[in-house]
Order: sequence, then C-alpha cells, then structure tokens
Amino acid sequence: MKRFIRDLKKYKNYILYSTWAELKSEIINSYLGWLWLVLEPLCFMLIYTFLAGVIFKTKVDYFPVFVFIGLSIWNFFNKMVNVSVKLVSSNKDTVTKVYLPKFVLLIEKIGVNGFKMLVSFVLVAIFMVIYKVPITWNILWFLPILITVIVFTFGVCTIMMHVGVFIEDMSNVVTIVLRLVFYLTGVFYDLSTRVTNVVYRTILLDLNPLANFIYNMRNVLIYSSSPVGMWTFIWFVVGLLLCILGINVIYKYENTYVKVMK
Amino acid sequence: MEKNEIAISVKDLHVYYRDMNRFSLKKAGLKGKGSGKLFKAVKGVSFEVPKGQILGITGKNGSGKSTLLRAISGIFSPDKGSINLHGNSISLLSIGVGFQKRLTGYENIFLSGLLLGFTKEQIEEKLDEIIEFSELGDFIYKPVSSYSSGMYSKLAFSITAILETDIMLIDEVLSVGDVHFKQKSYNKMKELISNDDRTVVIVSHSTKTLVELCDKVIWLHNGVIKEEGDPQTIMTKYEDFMKLD
Repeated sequence: MKRFIRDLKKYKNYILYSTWAELKSEIINSYLGWLWLVLEPLCFMLIYTFLAGVIFKTKVDYFPVFVFIGLSIWNFFNKMVNVSVKLVSSNKDTVTKVYLPKFVLLIEKIGVNGFKMLVSFVLVAIFMVIYKVPITWNILWFLPILITVIVFTFGVCTIMMHVGVFIEDMSNVVTIVLRLVFYLTGVFYDLSTRVTNVVYRTILLDLNPLANFIYNMRNVLIYSSSPVGMWTFIWFVVGLLLCILGINVIYKYENTYVKVMK
Repeated sequence: MEKNEIAISVKDLHVYYRDMNRFSLKKAGLKGKGSGKLFKAVKGVSFEVPKGQILGITGKNGSGKSTLLRAISGIFSPDKGSINLHGNSISLLSIGVGFQKRLTGYENIFLSGLLLGFTKEQIEEKLDEIIEFSELGDFIYKPVSSYSSGMYSKLAFSITAILETDIMLIDEVLSVGDVHFKQKSYNKMKELISNDDRTVVIVSHSTKTLVELCDKVIWLHNGVIKEEGDPQTIMTKYEDFMKLD
C-alpha cells in the first residue's frame, strides 16, 4: 500500500495530463466536439423514456431524472469494466517500452469516465430543476454514494484488468454478464415497486451493488429520503477490499503481463 | 564507498517466458494458469557496469539481448537473480512512447516526457531544445497525425534524446529521418553516449557501431554469456562464428 501511494504521487502529473489528453483527443476527433459529452447521455435518456413510457407504460415520478441517474452510474461502471478487461493489451505500445505501474492506466480511465459521469450528473441537476424536484438536505448523500460507486468500480476493474491479461476471451464473457446485470439493475424501471416478493427484492436490490447504488442515489436525489439499509456501506467496504486485493495482485504480477502478451 | 562506482549490477539473471499467448477460458478451466511451456530466454547472466562505461551487447537473433535489456529497464521482472541500479535513473531509449496521435506535437512532448518519469519542470526546461532539435518549426503545434513518418520519428527521437537519464539503454542505435537528420541524430547519439557521467548499454549487431562506441562488449549466446571483453577482439570472434553458422 505504501508503494501504491508513492507511485500515485510520482505519476500524479502523468495521470492528470493523460486524462486531459484523452478527453481532448476524443473531442477533437468528433465533429460536434464537447457537445457529445452532453448529447450521448441525453439521447439514451430519450430512448429509455420512450421505451418505458410508451411501450411498457411505467409510471414513475420525474421519469427522465429517474432514468438519468441510473444511466449515469451504469454507464460509468459499464464502460470501466469493458475497457479494463482489454486495458493492458490496448496499451501494448506503451507497456512494452517503458515501466509504469499498471494501475496508473486504470486511474486514467477512471478520470476520463468519471469526468463523463460528472457531466451527466450536471445534466441530472438541470433536469431536477426543470422538473421541479423538491430538494432537501438528503442531497448531501450524493457524494458518499458517488465515492462508493467509484471505489467499488475501481476494485472490480483492478481484478478485471488482471484477469483480462491472462484470459483472452474474457471480454466476451464480460459483455454478456454486463448485459444481464444491466437488465437486473433497474436502470429504466423501478426495482423496488416492480418486484413485490420480499426475498427476490432483497436479492436483486441489495446483493446487486449497482442496483443498490442507483436505488439509493434516486432516494436521496428525487424522493428526499435518506439512503436505505446497510448494504451501500457493506458494498463500500467490499469495494475497498477489492481495491487492496487488486492492487496487490497487479503489483505482484504486472511484470509478467508483458511476457504474456508477446 | 567503492560501490558508488558501479552503476548496474546484474547477478545470475534468469528470465523465462511461458507460452501463454493462446490462452482461452477452455484451457484455463482444465489447467491452472501457471501451466504452459517454459522458454528460457536468459539463463544466469551476471555482469557489472561501472559508472560512465559504455557496454555493448551482441549475439545472434533470439539470444536474449532485448530481453536482458528490458529486464534491466524494469519492464520484465527477473524470474531468478537480481538487478541493482544503485539508485540511478534509467530509460530504455524507445521512440514515440505514449503518443496520442490526435494531439499536437507540443502536447505529446509533455505526454511522453511525463510517462518516461520526468517532472513538468524538467520538460519545460528542455522544451525549446527539443523543438529546435526536431526541426519541426510550426508543425509542432499541429496534430501528430498530420505528420509525415519522417517528422514523426524526428520528434520522437528528439524527445528521448534530449530528456536524458543517468543510465541509457539502447536497442539498436537509432538513426532516423533523411540523410541530413540521420547524420545529426547519429552525432547526437554519439555525444550522449560519450558523456563521461552517463552509463550506456547498447544492443546491436553492427560491428562498426560497437567498436566505435563501446568500451566493452558482451557476447550473448542462447541466454548465457559466451565471451566478454575488448570490443575489437570479441567482434572479430563473433563475426567468424556467424560466418561458420
């Protein structure tokens, strides 16, 4: 862990600069530039609002905000996991030529996708104002939940990055699992009212960390209530443990990554 | 402290590759992940490089030269044995590391420099020198993707050559660009290499380069040191050996 902090300090500038560089190069490349950061979440929100409102006839208060919160968190997690499985091989050019702690690559991605998530939460805020969502002090829970999401995602991704180096077809598996989790997470429907069986509800809502994060985020932002249950905290601790485990595993094996990829 | 005089010590170094590139879930389920055929690239190499020395490493293809170099630079971990750099900063001279092609050359100098472990201040200090040496002029503010391949390698070379470290590892002496820049970059390399404070390890096949630049040559053969000593003697033997092969 000491080594982690030392390396973090040493590569702080590189992480910041490369995060900025990646965001910038993505923006330069596209015609609409900065607008995509806003347009992408906005369009997905419209799609799901249409699906849920017109086809499934769901009735949820402040539905666009509801979907938007789910999407912001889901997209962050989804992109991070997908990218981390292939992270080492997609940075082959760098990794085979110079030593750098491999988690640095991961933190850079957290920076890039975290920034996108923040943009999308800014949109959430705007929509909350437009839909006149009542705002209470519970909104302060936003930050702890967000940190939990990031810590948990980072933990999962350290493991994914490690496994992804050794198992080539891991990304296929990940795509399928993520799709399943997406439907189970209730990004565009309300798990807590849809599932009435208490046992299933506990399983779906508490044992699926993402559903739990999204559920609580909605509670504090839209429904003016404090977060429910111990589970978010438990997942925070699990996330921390995953981070520690993942970082140790990466440190132990990172120098063999290059050999495997040859 | 006598030890300060030594810049690199390599003791009984072993580097192995496991044949794991075609690793899929199916196989992973059947066996553990430590399985796979073992290929021993470097088998028990020991040497010391005093500060300021220029060491050449030669040997036929696949004799473990590049692996050795990468192990010294920290990209690979040794499977057995140890490498001690005595606290010196080190870089494997390689061009174009970490470039984001859509960004400008200017921005890429920082990106590459930071990745190589330099601080922002150090890069800023050398910035003008890099830009001048690369001969890119105003193109430095254009995206790297718009560069010709010659311009690209000029910039990449300038970054690595001007941001210096205590120990330099060189995999084949680089000379890039047109005839003029080739000469210039070769001279720059020579200048860098012959700096008395700098310790250099060069991997090369070229007798001319090694004899001209090095103080000592190690001949690697199948992962072990076959001979070491004076460049001229070793290279003559090496060439005779290669002709026989």
